[in-house]
Amino acid sequence: MSMHTAMPTSLIPGTSIIHRIHPVTKILWVVVYVILAFTTQNVIILYGMAVFAILMALLGGVFRPLLKAAYLIVPIGSSLISLQVLAPAVEQPWTPIAEVGFVTLYGDGLYFALVLLGRIVSSMLLSLVMVMTTHPSDLFLAFSKLKIPFTFNFMLAMTLQLIPVFQREVTLVLSAQKSRGMKGSGFSAVLPSFIPVFVGAVERVQQLSISLESRGFGSSGNKTSYRQVVARIQDWIYGVGGVTVMIGLMVYSILQPVWWNLSDIIFFSPQTVLVAFSVSVTVFTSVILGALYISFRKT
Amino acid sequence: MPEPIVHFDSVTYTYPGTDSPALSGISLDIMPGEYVGVIGLNGAGKTTLGLSLNGVVPTMLSGRREGRVIVGGLAVEEYPVREMAKIVGMVFDNPEFQMSQMTCAEEVALGLESAGVDFETMRRSVTEALNLVGLQGFEERSPLALSGGQQQRLAIAAVLAMKPQVLVMDEPTSNLDPIGKREVFAMAATLNQDYGMTVIVIEHEVEVLAEHADRIIVMDGGRIVLNGGSAEIFSRVEELQELGLRVPEATSLAHLLGQKGHWKAKTPINSAEAVRAVNEMLKVGA
Amino acid sequence: MSRRAKHGFPAQIETDLAIKVEGAHYVYPNGKVIALSEVNLEVKQGELLGVIGQNGSGKTTLTKLLNRLLQPSAGAVYVNGLLTTDRTVQEMSAHIGYVFQNPNHQLFARTVKDELEFGPRNIGTSEDDIAQRVAEAVDFFGLGEYIDEHPYRVSFPIRKLVGIASVITMKPSIIILDEPSTGQDHQTTRVINSLMRRLAEDGTTVICVSHDMPLLADVVERVIVMRNAEIVADATPREVFADSELMLTTNLQAPQITNIALKTVYPLGGPIALTPQELAADIELRLRKGKY
Repeated sequence: MSMHTAMPTSLIPGTSIIHRIHPVTKILWVVVYVILAFTTQNVIILYGMAVFAILMALLGGVFRPLLKAAYLIVPIGSSLISLQVLAPAVEQPWTPIAEVGFVTLYGDGLYFALVLLGRIVSSMLLSLVMVMTTHPSDLFLAFSKLKIPFTFNFMLAMTLQLIPVFQREVTLVLSAQKSRGMKGSGFSAVLPSFIPVFVGAVERVQQLSISLESRGFGSSGNKTSYRQVVARIQDWIYGVGGVTVMIGLMVYSILQPVWWNLSDIIFFSPQTVLVAFSVSVTVFTSVILGALYISFRKT
Repeated sequence: MPEPIVHFDSVTYTYPGTDSPALSGISLDIMPGEYVGVIGLNGAGKTTLGLSLNGVVPTMLSGRREGRVIVGGLAVEEYPVREMAKIVGMVFDNPEFQMSQMTCAEEVALGLESAGVDFETMRRSVTEALNLVGLQGFEERSPLALSGGQQQRLAIAAVLAMKPQVLVMDEPTSNLDPIGKREVFAMAATLNQDYGMTVIVIEHEVEVLAEHADRIIVMDGGRIVLNGGSAEIFSRVEELQELGLRVPEATSLAHLLGQKGHWKAKTPINSAEAVRAVNEMLKVGA
Repeated sequence: MSRRAKHGFPAQIETDLAIKVEGAHYVYPNGKVIALSEVNLEVKQGELLGVIGQNGSGKTTLTKLLNRLLQPSAGAVYVNGLLTTDRTVQEMSAHIGYVFQNPNHQLFARTVKDELEFGPRNIGTSEDDIAQRVAEAVDFFGLGEYIDEHPYRVSFPIRKLVGIASVITMKPSIIILDEPSTGQDHQTTRVINSLMRRLAEDGTTVICVSHDMPLLADVVERVIVMRNAEIVADATPREVFADSELMLTTNLQAPQITNIALKTVYPLGGPIALTPQELAADIELRLRKGKY
């Protein structure tokens, strides 16, 4: 049965300047972004980072795919805003801004929600851009250059490729059981069907390990690599530059406490909070209802 | 006289946790450049024989082994399997289970990477191997997106990159469609005829083996029961049938006619021989 | 409900055909690949049908439409007069059994016996009948020593037989065998050969998808050849295998014995032999006639 199972390459092929950056630099950038995002509470920095990531996406020619992949921001953002406005995750005292029936809305909540959202958005966007512009094999090569243990790296690579294969296997197994009249799409009915998938996985791994050994593949010893990435001056500059900027922003934020957390400067008017809250709740509820509807329609 | 490239000396092997041996007193010699077919019922020990050639048995699968297996002058059990890979390459029956990398080139380069081959040489070997199996230009394609026949050829390319002297194929076409089967068998024939590679094929497709193999080894219950030239072995129709095996239909035809005393010519093992003989007979008879 | 109104096909028709396919068309969900192109097919009760073609020709898609694992994008598929669209796979499984190529995809019970009982129990067979059918299957397939074994502890060829047996115990009136003899040795292939004959004798409609030409040549009465999502030939094995242009364009090969017959006795008015026995008998006849 050769049903063509495509590799899950998240890579959007291209030769842009972003594509050509060394994968280690890209990994470094992601790390820098995440550290900065989760340590600052300055919304200007956070959303600035998000904008920068979008600029990179445009440079790399992956803007459209990025938008499609980033759809999760809608449910995450709307839920964050809705919940935080109701119960801010900051220290008391909270500043009540408005009242809707028996529910109190707090202004600090809106700011903090934006901070949380900003963190997620900036990290997610940049990670997506980096992944979309790097061939998975080069990513794994970068991991090995960063001295990540070979076995771990290899297992990670294998898992990535096997995901579509196992999706296919699960579908096949479910088809086989349905063809024998198995009733119920409830989880407990379906669970025994996972035994064949598991057994298939074991057999596959056994066969694969014999095949790999028989081809001279070994997990120890000096290895060379078929995939080559050359570190250019630009890559060093980008890497060092990124780290410098991050440290700079963090240091600056610490030295200028007023810049660290803008919630004392930025005030939201009650109307703003009310509007933000209502929109978020509406969006969030419709997303949940939509998801439930789709999952029930399939059965 | 040239040295055999494969030498089994009274080899007996039992898988761990089992009582009866999978191989019993196997002794055989295979000369360089031979094309050998191995046939037998499932469970006769064919796969175990194949795995003994590169040391998977007993090194990887443990179990009890007596006797000696010498391939390419090396005693197999003294070397790790990946060392033996430089002499013996193996291809298995499920093409997809042999795929592990993101691109075809990386799949072929796996063994070379582990051997620490320098980049330039590696690039060249990969291109050569892919060209040899008819997959030129497939370097960046994903192995999982190939057809079964192509995947199997890719597996062969990966094996060839190590430049082995012996190629062992264990039921390589059982999961392939007719095109795939043809591609793989043609590949084996080319490697044997044009490149002098020793080829050992474990198969049920007796018609194809009769066409290409110089020698046939018949296994049953862990033993070698017949070992000889293809023409000689396949013409022993009754013995093979008693073992539950098929003979090429051409041979079966000759046997049936021979039983009634009609077949005077040499026993045919392929279509062309049978056609010639039958037409001769009909001319004389008519 | 609105679907029924949309496609306009009656949910049930009066027919004694086992299978009726009307203009079945199937496009993959991504919308790009046509897997089956307006296919028409009628199969009578009790027919023994072979389906051949390269991978990707549409064979698997066609069989999956028959047991409702897939729904046609256009057209209709009737099994025992019932329209598959708007019915579930489970409903159809009482009528049409599907033996998967890889038994590993089916087997999950603790023992072979449980495996054989699973199918009939799902469709509501009485316990007495189940016991009887299991006993028959065990006898026919020679599974006696394996009944209490775990399905994954028996060898792959036995597992394949268990896979087939576990569908047989459901006693469907139509059964699809997907590559039953791949990876099997000659002995097991003979068991499958006699199984197919037995099923046909009992009146079961058998559809066998296979690359094993000698197996089909020996057993089936009708062969469907598929290429590029279409049925390009629908005839007896003799007619199909004798058509050398068809074999060429579909990249298939007739059994060796048939090719021999075509180059020897056929031009002299002899049969398109499907087995060595047949050709030997004809040659013998000619030689005898020649002597007198």
